[in-house]
Amino acid sequence: MKRRDFLKWTAASSMGLALPVSLATLGRMAEAAQGPDLVVAKGASTPQVVRAALDAAGGMRRFIAKGDVVVLKPNIGWDRTPQYAATTNPDVVGALAKLCFEAGAKKVRVFDNTVSDARRCYKQSGIADAAAAAGAEMVYMDSRKYRDVRLNGTVLKSWPLYNDIFEADKVINIPIAKTHSLTTLTLAMKNWMGVMGGVRFRVHQRIDESLVDLCRVIKPTLTVLDAVRILTANGPTGGDLDDVKRLDTIVVGTDQVAIDSFGATLFGMKGSDLNTVKLAARAGLGVMDLSKLSIKRISV
Amino acid sequence: MVTRTRRIVQGLFLALFLFLFIQTESKGLDELGYPVKLFLDFDPLIFLTTLLASRAVEGLFWLSLIIVALTVILGRFFCGWVCPLGTLNNMVGSLRKKRAKPPGPGWFRLKYYILVFILASSVFGAQLAGIADPISLTIRSFSLAIYPALSYAATSFFDGIYRLNLPVVTPASEILYDVLKKTVLPFQQPWFLQGVFIGALFLVVLGLNLVQRRFWCRFLCPLGALLGLLSRYAVLRREVSEECDSCGACVAPCQADAVPAGKEKWRASECLVCNNCDDVCPKNAVSFGFLKGHPTGGLDLGRRNVLSSFLLGAFAVPLLRISPLSRPRMADAKLIRPPGALGEPKFLQTCVRCGECMKVCITGGLQPTLLEAGLEGIWTPVMVPRIGFCEFRCTLCGQVCPTGAIKRLPLEEKQEVRLGHAAIDKGRCLPYAHATPCIVCEETCPTPKKAIWIEEVTVRDREGNTVRLQQPNVDLTKCIGCGACEKHCPVADQPAIYVTSAGESRSEENQLLLQAPAVAPFPHK
Repeated sequence: MKRRDFLKWTAASSMGLALPVSLATLGRMAEAAQGPDLVVAKGASTPQVVRAALDAAGGMRRFIAKGDVVVLKPNIGWDRTPQYAATTNPDVVGALAKLCFEAGAKKVRVFDNTVSDARRCYKQSGIADAAAAAGAEMVYMDSRKYRDVRLNGTVLKSWPLYNDIFEADKVINIPIAKTHSLTTLTLAMKNWMGVMGGVRFRVHQRIDESLVDLCRVIKPTLTVLDAVRILTANGPTGGDLDDVKRLDTIVVGTDQVAIDSFGATLFGMKGSDLNTVKLAARAGLGVMDLSKLSIKRISV
Repeated sequence: MVTRTRRIVQGLFLALFLFLFIQTESKGLDELGYPVKLFLDFDPLIFLTTLLASRAVEGLFWLSLIIVALTVILGRFFCGWVCPLGTLNNMVGSLRKKRAKPPGPGWFRLKYYILVFILASSVFGAQLAGIADPISLTIRSFSLAIYPALSYAATSFFDGIYRLNLPVVTPASEILYDVLKKTVLPFQQPWFLQGVFIGALFLVVLGLNLVQRRFWCRFLCPLGALLGLLSRYAVLRREVSEECDSCGACVAPCQADAVPAGKEKWRASECLVCNNCDDVCPKNAVSFGFLKGHPTGGLDLGRRNVLSSFLLGAFAVPLLRISPLSRPRMADAKLIRPPGALGEPKFLQTCVRCGECMKVCITGGLQPTLLEAGLEGIWTPVMVPRIGFCEFRCTLCGQVCPTGAIKRLPLEEKQEVRLGHAAIDKGRCLPYAHATPCIVCEETCPTPKKAIWIEEVTVRDREGNTVRLQQPNVDLTKCIGCGACEKHCPVADQPAIYVTSAGESRSEENQLLLQAPAVAPFPHK
């Protein structure tokens, strides 16, 4: 079902014109309403942790419908192997792709506009192999598919963004938690730089506002923060294993501001230490105050 | 008959050549999986001149001795049956219907004088063979001009149809485009300085076939000349029986200047063993076989001409070296050589300008020089970071270099090799000159401990507002001059951070620091 169709459908049913809503749908809606805002799952086996985290969040079926075309957007920006924590853990991407297919997804596409050479990034990160093993399609960015998107933001009025994320039925953001000199950390919101075309490094001049502007139009169905390994210094490129800390943690939620706010705590900071999070919360894009969220912690 | 067999063999070798050429591209791993420089490995001219010029045998390809041995037995079969440029010349030559008369009886000797010139200059330490060696020439022309142009044409064509967004046609063309991208087209459009120049020269070489078929092979090719010398006493020879009535039917089909009608004057050195004369003979009087004795047709190069060519080649070396760049302690700031490149003099003596490194360079940053390294260094690789930087975990250029001009280094060593150092232009850098945040250079710096470090400062803007800023600095003990910062610097046109060759590991003199940081011990000279 396309998002637009879904909106029409809900509008129609809420006006009381439609047929009685089926019991199953009601049950699912109730469950969704009751699901936790964030799930924080911890454990040694990454694929199992991802699966358990999604189960705790209400199951992948809560997010993915049968026949959906799903985009997975990991951070594959650099030519590094997984142990350096500069790119999203391939096991997380693989496990999510599998869960999407189990939930009935028709197609799962994986891509990122990389900084290092895309062939190397895809291969060396292990994500190309993990995606292939799960039956997902690894896509190299096609320069013809960036479209100017109106953002009407405080800084960015419009910007060329990768069209596939708007054409997909569902989008899952899969950032990895790393340090970054300008934004202090790079988490979920920063990961959307990976669908920007144009001279994207120019947004560094006002990066926090720019990222908030991006998140005004990019609304992922789900965000899965990879903190299996986090990069604590020399980010976002890394390269030194001494800077890598193993947390074996996965954070799942639908509110990317909340995810980023929680992500800050993994580095001993607060969400309010991150300008992007503060501005995004102020713009009403999500919740920064973790005390206002229901956070479910599980161990696998 | 033999002609058909030969054409099939030629086609197969050309196909192999093109296949290896297309495989000279990364697929994301740090190995290519195919012996992409195979044709260069088998090239005796490259072998001999590199040996003479650099006086080093390391990284040399003894495989070429197989061609030498086979040529001594079989004659110039390489030219007639194997050489990809020879085959291309055949193909273009077939566009000309009538065979033209040779421009002059002695023109075939020209290539021997070219060979003598090249060998003389290599004896005195200059490597010029690569400019005219057919394998080098073909790979270079394909890599830097022909293939990029074909790629551009294909991409423009498919993009045009994509933009038209026609029903049926556009989806079909996209499927075809996808197949081509996965098979023969490059991963990304290659862009090369001098593509036009190098491409035009190659088209001239091919176009000369319209003046005279196999013009290049007959009159100019130095490898052909070397193989010609080797095949003067080839065991596989042509024999003409008593049946021959000198009808002259074999004169026109001869691909070179072997004078087949001359019987006694047949030149073994010019024969490409194409067997055309055998196939065409109405009396079936011609045959090729392993024979005793010597062929009688000589070369008559002329002692004076050979000596003149030699002296010219010898004098070319000092003439090329009087450029100020050859002076001690002179280094061109922008002459940034690939990682593992030998010290400049040695590099020039070893590089055969085949273009393999530029073809394989994953970012497209390796470009051919024109005069940056002097005329002697024409078409050698130089990194232009604004076009493409040196990918930190890539060692492909060293892997494909046929002569060891770029040493093949293990990844750990390559990552310590300095190509130069980065410098910041504070007049253009946003945090320095315009009180504007940036730090892209620091972000993209790939060394494990970043060579670019940030200093937090508080400055005032024009209105007197206090602005907290991060200003980048370069740590010369960490910077390897890879150019990632220069490539990604968002300051348009002239970047605010740029790499120069000062600090390059391969030079003792071109250093900034009193104590240059140590690198893994490997011989740069």
